[in-house]
Amino acid sequence: MRSPVRFERRLEQPKWLNWAIPVFSLLAALILGAIVLFATGKNPLEVYDRIFERGFAGTRALSGSIKTATPLAFTGLCAAVSFRMGLINIGGEGQFYMGAVGATWAALAVGDGLPTGALVIVMSLSGMLWGGFYAAIVGVLRARFNTNEIITSLMMNYLAAIFLNYLIYNSTSYWRDPESRNFPAGKPISQRADWNFFEIGGINVPLSFLIAILAAVAVWVLYKRTRFGFEVGVIADSPKAARYAGIRTTSTIVVVLALSGALAGLGGAADVGNFRGLLDSKGLQLSGYGYTGIVVAALARFNPISTIVVAVLIGGLTNAGFALQGPDFPSGLVGTLQGLILFTAVAGEVLVKYRIRRNRRTVAVTA
Amino acid sequence: MNSNLLVIIAASAIFYGTPLFFAALGGIMTERSGVLNLGVEGTMLLGAVSGAWASQHVPGSAWFTVLASILIGMAAGALTSTLLAFLCITLRTNQTVAGLAITIFAGGVGLSSYFANIWDVAGAPVDRQIRKLDVLGLADAPIVGPILFNQTILTYVSWVLVVLASVYLFRTRFGLQLRAVGESPQTADAMGIDVVKYRYVHTIAGGALAGLGGVYYSLAIVPSWVDGMTKGAGWIAIALVIFGFWRPSIALLGAYLFGALQSLGSTLKARNVNISGDLLDALPFLMTIVVLVLISTRFAHRRLGAPAALGVPYEREER
Amino acid sequence: MKSAVRMTGVVKRFPGVVANDGVELDIRAGEVHALLGENGAGKSTLSNILTGLYRPDEGTVEIDGRVVHFSSPRDALDAGVGMVHQHFRLVSTFTVAENVVLGEPGSPLMIDQSSVARRVAELSDRYGLAVDPSARIWQLSVGEQQRVEILKVLYRGAKVLILDEPTAVLTPIEADALFATLRAMVAEGRTVVFISHKLDEVMKVSDRVTVLRGGKTVGTVDTATTSPRELASLMVGRSVEFTRVVRDNPADRSTVVLSLDGVSARDDRGREALHAVSLTVGRGEILGVAGVAGNGQRELAEAISGMRPLSSGRIDVAGDPVQSGRARSAIAKGIAHIPEDRLHTGLASSHSVEDNLALKNYRSSDLSRFRLLRRKVIRSQAAGLVQNYDVKTPTTTTPVRLLSGGNVQKVLLAREFSSLPKVLIAASPTRGLDVGAIETVRARLVEAAESGVGILLISEDLDEILSLADRIVVMYEGRIVDEVDAESADRQRLGLTMGGSAVSGALS
Repeated sequence: MRSPVRFERRLEQPKWLNWAIPVFSLLAALILGAIVLFATGKNPLEVYDRIFERGFAGTRALSGSIKTATPLAFTGLCAAVSFRMGLINIGGEGQFYMGAVGATWAALAVGDGLPTGALVIVMSLSGMLWGGFYAAIVGVLRARFNTNEIITSLMMNYLAAIFLNYLIYNSTSYWRDPESRNFPAGKPISQRADWNFFEIGGINVPLSFLIAILAAVAVWVLYKRTRFGFEVGVIADSPKAARYAGIRTTSTIVVVLALSGALAGLGGAADVGNFRGLLDSKGLQLSGYGYTGIVVAALARFNPISTIVVAVLIGGLTNAGFALQGPDFPSGLVGTLQGLILFTAVAGEVLVKYRIRRNRRTVAVTA
Repeated sequence: MNSNLLVIIAASAIFYGTPLFFAALGGIMTERSGVLNLGVEGTMLLGAVSGAWASQHVPGSAWFTVLASILIGMAAGALTSTLLAFLCITLRTNQTVAGLAITIFAGGVGLSSYFANIWDVAGAPVDRQIRKLDVLGLADAPIVGPILFNQTILTYVSWVLVVLASVYLFRTRFGLQLRAVGESPQTADAMGIDVVKYRYVHTIAGGALAGLGGVYYSLAIVPSWVDGMTKGAGWIAIALVIFGFWRPSIALLGAYLFGALQSLGSTLKARNVNISGDLLDALPFLMTIVVLVLISTRFAHRRLGAPAALGVPYEREER
Repeated sequence: MKSAVRMTGVVKRFPGVVANDGVELDIRAGEVHALLGENGAGKSTLSNILTGLYRPDEGTVEIDGRVVHFSSPRDALDAGVGMVHQHFRLVSTFTVAENVVLGEPGSPLMIDQSSVARRVAELSDRYGLAVDPSARIWQLSVGEQQRVEILKVLYRGAKVLILDEPTAVLTPIEADALFATLRAMVAEGRTVVFISHKLDEVMKVSDRVTVLRGGKTVGTVDTATTSPRELASLMVGRSVEFTRVVRDNPADRSTVVLSLDGVSARDDRGREALHAVSLTVGRGEILGVAGVAGNGQRELAEAISGMRPLSSGRIDVAGDPVQSGRARSAIAKGIAHIPEDRLHTGLASSHSVEDNLALKNYRSSDLSRFRLLRRKVIRSQAAGLVQNYDVKTPTTTTPVRLLSGGNVQKVLLAREFSSLPKVLIAASPTRGLDVGAIETVRARLVEAAESGVGILLISEDLDEILSLADRIVVMYEGRIVDEVDAESADRQRLGLTMGGSAVSGALS
């Protein structure tokens, strides 16, 4: 038995693959998605047309998409930062919640005394600290006890969700609005703590989206231009070589995870400051930003700058999904499409590593 | 705490632990072949939604419908893990990301929810459930009755499975060859064992078992479809594989421990014991982290029997 | 005489390299046929084709006169071809018996352990391959593991046995026992293919020799009518001679640059692998560490270079203590290290040549400022070193894993020597290199010693140690069991102590 094709390891990875892989992954995912839609009795073209219309056509659609893209940009950066070092932090979800908790706390505590600009900074810092510390726990367990970070970070997502429920539903915490006995809700933060929106070319761009772009550039510089980034790269390539070169692996693990969590936490802060204006336990848990962030980062091949671009793309898809939700646009469709994109992105990585060749039949020469 | 409460906790530990065991056993089979399946959560959900659909739509006697639902749920799990197998074994992708992709694709806001919507299984309770049996009329016997003789058929199946799986893994040639594939695919290949076939078969079988665990949720525990109803059970099962040191018998005990933790909240609440529900809900997840930390110290992993080639794609012509 | 194996015009290509380029091979039934060639000559590829692991791109393979197309090792085993791999194909958590029956066709269910043990015992008796069938592989010595490898193949009824560099892991005495086993198998009508690059072994054990060079067959000769000299020139394409190197500056043993005092350390499994090792290296001295692989050499190198914490003892460089388990401290004190596993320990293989050349000094103020890397300086440092050390690479941004073995080693040497070390730990620095590269590496080591660097040369190749070292210590089971002057060293005595035999007058 011979398979018709074989994989041949690539010696060099051509640069054009960097954009070709994501583009083809996306196309392949759309084709697979069309098959799912067709098989379940929907007209794929119609569905895609509506997704495009609601997600990307016109300034209104784009404004909505960029809004949805903003948290995804942060969770995408969160995943990119850790995955680049080979640390599979899938706790972006929980770290995002924690960031939201921290930022709300800061806004409620000092919201009345500070101007908006200072509040943005205070809320951001608080969100980053909460998210960062929460992720650092995973890092310490990994660095100190070699505990598998995949499972711990995921378990901590569930713990963070339970914590949110506790704060809003099952206690009379600082975060809960005391006026809302019957329908428990978060306490709204002060008006002054609302982050700005800017109008750019007719599109409404939230301040936090601009912060995400800055963060992406900062991550890029950190990984490409600094000693720390060099060390992370060596650890990712070969932990043994890192040990050999005297690079402190354990502290780097903790720092990278903390940074990763801080980015997700910053996203949580933006969620409160720029969008919801309160700690919305249910809304956060329904959004699943952390998981979608992994899709975003994978499609961006863990490059921070591309992460922003992909976030807008996936944000558009998600946004359209929300807008269209209804009987003939069932929920779960957007998640399915995202999963398919992740599949094709993962499978696309094969093309980076291998060249696929057809097997020729061996010519039998009898001497 | 009176003895009555302990009996209820023990009985529900087994009741709630059974699906965890199925998923963990599936994980053991898959990981023994050297493939890491992080898509268990999503696989379970697809099994659950397919099983729920079948129990509402397959005609026939109650027994037949339930059996068909179980088989359809397992088939859905097998199909899902076939996709994983193709990615990990044939395309040799990163197994971690491929598994995550399965969970996101199939998970609570993905395909399982989409199917639930278009098949219209959400909301209504399933009418053909997997019910608790009264074995030999002993269900009311003191203490042992509720624990041992008043469980669902699947619990009894799981007890047979734990024996069969242990014999298979450690006493048969198939098991020996399977373990060789997971420990050292190079060796297995050189000895003429078909590494790819072994990995495919056991990954798919593992998916079927995860699907079975999912059906248990939608037909026995809840019993109806709720988006994301397994609530992390798939992930706990992955941890259980590690706690079980890749052995079915220990995994069964671990599953019951976590079953007890999962059910503790509802059991105590029902009996008006005054304790924070959130804390109880958090217990299984906290315990998972604690136990993982305890057994993941420096040298523990290899000693405990983690397959040496776990998560490493096998590639023959590597230079 | 009848051919057991015949290969005609066999070609095997890999991305970027033609490993076999029209190989012709004719092996007669009932002979020991040596396959001789340098590393990279295509021996391993050829044997992998013969055992069904690789499929040839062109050409034919005949076994017993019939053309075969193996598509898996199972086909080869069924046709009676079995291989003893250099890196053993054993499952270390399994017992000997379990390894032996692995992959055997037979009842899918239970395995009859007792009949397996009986048959294993029978085979071990017949060929002098003593091993306990119920022992687990990880409990066995390397020599015993090799016996299991051979038993495994015999158990499957192989008529043709291929042994890939089988003596690389054996002491001289174990190697002699292996040769006796091989002769016994041939006497029974089996055929042995013996792959090696060591001339004296080939002369000792084989009936005929086929020499490969650059993936092509150079020729086949009768062992009885050839000489090591002829084989050597066939193998490398010119005449070569390794003799003892005489250095300009003699070693200054009175100025100690490296001293170990009662150093103990654990291996990766947590077992003590180094037991109270004490030694000193003088300025400009080359101290050879001889021994069979796996007797603590790796742990010794890693302990000195700070990659492995000490469980007791101390290490000083020129009287200055090195912090245990701190590679950064070792580097700062002037310890350079050429590790055994160059591509994954000594280098970050997916990183570029220039990044790898900066791997140890990227922290210096020359290469980074305010924690930002100075890319231009890194690049110009790389350009200089690439030129000085004659590294053949397309650009300095090429990943090192794309370079040939010799050039990989040059990158390492360039980085380690340019740091102007006081001490150099060189672990098997020439293993796997071709003759030209071996000569370069040895010349660089001698040059470094002449400039005053104290060198600890760890090698399994006794010839290398004898030709380069001033003094030799022998390691066995984590201890230093013997110390001799290189000039007056006696090969036989070294061979004995490497195998653990106590020698009167040796250190305790």
